Amino acid sequence: MTFLAPAAAALALTLPVIVALYFLRIRRPTRVVPALNLWPDEIRDRQANIPWQRLRFSWLLMLQLLAAAVLVAAAAQPAVSAGTSLARHSVVLLDVSASMQAQDVQPSRLDEAKLEVGGLIDQLGPQDRMTLIALGSVPRVVASVAGDPEALHRAVSDMGAQNGAADLSGGLALAAGLVRPGDDARAYLFSDGIVGPIRTDVASSLPFPVEYHRVGVSGENVGMTSLVVRTGAQSRAAYLHIQNFGQQSRSFSLEWRADSRLVDVRKLTLAGGQAQDLVLPVPSDATVVSAHIDAGDIFALDDTVSAVASTPRAFRVLLVTPGNVFLQQALSLRTDIQLDVIAPAAYKSSAPYAMSIFDGYAPQALPDGPFILINPPAGSPLAGGTPIGIGRVRALDAGDPLLTNVDLQDVHIARSQDLRASRFGRPLITSLQTPLVLVRDEPFRQVLFGFDLHESDLPLRIAFPILVQNLSEWILPPSVPSHSFHPDEPVTIVPETGATSVAVLRPDGSRRSLAGGSIATFGDTDLTGLYTVEQVVAGKVDRSWFTVNLFSEQISQLKPADRLTLPPVTSTTAVHSAHRGQLEVWPWIALAALVIVVLEWLAFHRGL
Amino acid sequence: MAALLDPPLLRRLEALALRVRRAVSGQMGGERRSTARGRSVEFADFRSYSPGDDFRLIDWNAYARLDRFMLRLFVAEQELPLSIFVDLSGSMDWGRPNKAATARRLAGAIAYVALAALDRVRLTVFAEGPTSGGAPYRGRRAVANLFSRLQSFPVGGPTDYGRLVWPIARQRPGMTVLISDGLGESSIDPAIAALGRARQEGVVLQLLAPQEIAPDWTGDARLKDSETGVEREFTSTPVTQAAYLAALARRTDEIEHSAHRQGLRFARLSTDQPIEDMVLRTLRRLGLLS
Repeated sequence: MTFLAPAAAALALTLPVIVALYFLRIRRPTRVVPALNLWPDEIRDRQANIPWQRLRFSWLLMLQLLAAAVLVAAAAQPAVSAGTSLARHSVVLLDVSASMQAQDVQPSRLDEAKLEVGGLIDQLGPQDRMTLIALGSVPRVVASVAGDPEALHRAVSDMGAQNGAADLSGGLALAAGLVRPGDDARAYLFSDGIVGPIRTDVASSLPFPVEYHRVGVSGENVGMTSLVVRTGAQSRAAYLHIQNFGQQSRSFSLEWRADSRLVDVRKLTLAGGQAQDLVLPVPSDATVVSAHIDAGDIFALDDTVSAVASTPRAFRVLLVTPGNVFLQQALSLRTDIQLDVIAPAAYKSSAPYAMSIFDGYAPQALPDGPFILINPPAGSPLAGGTPIGIGRVRALDAGDPLLTNVDLQDVHIARSQDLRASRFGRPLITSLQTPLVLVRDEPFRQVLFGFDLHESDLPLRIAFPILVQNLSEWILPPSVPSHSFHPDEPVTIVPETGATSVAVLRPDGSRRSLAGGSIATFGDTDLTGLYTVEQVVAGKVDRSWFTVNLFSEQISQLKPADRLTLPPVTSTTAVHSAHRGQLEVWPWIALAALVIVVLEWLAFHRGL
Repeated sequence: MAALLDPPLLRRLEALALRVRRAVSGQMGGERRSTARGRSVEFADFRSYSPGDDFRLIDWNAYARLDRFMLRLFVAEQELPLSIFVDLSGSMDWGRPNKAATARRLAGAIAYVALAALDRVRLTVFAEGPTSGGAPYRGRRAVANLFSRLQSFPVGGPTDYGRLVWPIARQRPGMTVLISDGLGESSIDPAIAALGRARQEGVVLQLLAPQEIAPDWTGDARLKDSETGVEREFTSTPVTQAAYLAALARRTDEIEHSAHRQGLRFARLSTDQPIEDMVLRTLRRLGLLS
């Protein structure tokens, strides 16, 4: 046992003071009584009437001395060695992701984890510090290198569950940033182990060991992990994937609704581990469809899913070309594009199009909006220099999102305009000789190809339709994407032309206004359910929808991981002198003092 | 007089009279039934005429029927000799309201009732020994003198109830009221026993202050006896207070039982009780007044 405040032992001087008070004569006020003989002869006179008279035994004195001694002991804050090894700086990563809402332990995994963290906080010594990190989809520091147990308890208490997945790599990287080199640090992960894999760059640079504390016991859960609406030639249908992730067979009913109207109810039984795909009818006038199961399992977040059933609005795209079947085919793959193809001679600048594509042609005045310009003829405003022969084709940045899944390995280009001097934008695809494709964001998203597609085998490669798809989606992202998003996933909202205000109505009824007129990224998607985007265009409210669903088999599986593959400590400079945590016992001693004081009061009243 | 009792109270007292349970024998005519036969309107008995009897008392109707001289005897109404013994020892000079002051007022009220009914009142105060209040008082004109005398006695000194035995024993048959707190070093029993033996209509009124019935203090103190001046250090706790209350209850119960054994009437009064309540309610309930 150690004492955290040994200086408080000086308070023990109160003990001889109490004894001295029993020696000292006290001044008593004189009270005249009618008949002294009525007052009991046995006068409870604890105080000696002359100084230094031999002290008489008194239960009251003993209890008072005992109470004082116990209070002094409590003030010295004794602490006993606890079971957990603590470093001087403890980094607690508390998983607040969706799976921690599971109720296989009461009241929930998160509350259980909070209790365990609370126990760890209680073991902190006066010199120890703790950092609290809420491990959600975006890890967040809740308390940074704090030593005040009360503040830490408050911080833990304020942590709430999130609906996203846990980003352990991000959390560890954040923790590593808070630990100074040479610090005696240790990380404690309170989680059910349902976390993303640890990135190698994080794993290789952790300056502290990580201790995994598992929370949760069961994976008995039935959940829906996919719901999509497909539009066929005649009708629309929804495809729903339900899976029993547990070991036990479960029977439950499925409610199928369209715009809150009950369409169908089905009784389902799934054996342990069994999955079932259902095809459900979607009424033609339905905007949103949703499914709900009453499986009565330990996890509610995947028991209700929804999907947008309405078809998105189409973009009008103009293709000005003397003839390019490759381009036409690639563009027509996108269902929300209404393509108009005209010859260069028929081009009129006044026609309103969301995007224009000029192939081997450039108007004198390029449209004031998004466009793709392919091989502009010499003399046109954006034309490059004299065509030069091209060798190997490569991406300037292989990680560029615009080149996702675009394989340029076997692509050959005969020749291209020299765009080295072009100030159009940044190169996307380049060669040793000259940049081949340039892109720019300002004033609008625009693309410049320096070569004729017909002088390349690019249109013959699978990379071409993917590239066109990537570019067109970059230039013309759907106004409001109608597919489902994961919790905390950002949603790009492109306001309709002429929209004066844009607002998003969340599932809980709260409203978020976005800056009108510009592309906005909406990040408040922490709640699952239906989000309504309201745009005011020419005085009329235009509504579109997107949904946020859990849709994660990894999370719905729920079975807590017994152990995690955690990175070893790589830093050689850190000094790890983990000590046993200290459990302060003074509250119990103070309670004992209270009991003794009560006994002393009783003894006084009983005349002991 | 006004300082002792209020005129409204005096007016109300005039409507009262002392009640005796047996006939009395006084020296002078009064408004009390006497053991002697005398002149009044209340018939008592017949007896045969003897020479020397007042022939005005012969019942001529009886003579007509019996042919014998028979005398009609009537109850003689005489005064009631009332003695009041008031304790003015040191223990009575205590309490809020003060016990001695209350005792003076109570004695004055009882005396006033008697004087208003033409009874004879003898006053004695006592502490270490009895002190006579002078010649007996009779009639309303004596009220002022009695009240003045009652207020003139000093208060203080120890109580010696034993010295009351002789003054009580020599009382003529009548009514005797003893007003005291019953406390002190000596026991009140000899005085009560003397009262019982003296063929008196005895009444014992024990007067206590509310602060001694329920002490209102705790903690350390130096207790000083109001009569002897003896001091003792003391710590008052609920336990010791309970012991005191038990001792007080024992003492007062002993006085009450002793009084009842002697056939005396007994009442315990608290000084916080208004004097009107004591007289008009407690003493009437006791049967002392009617």
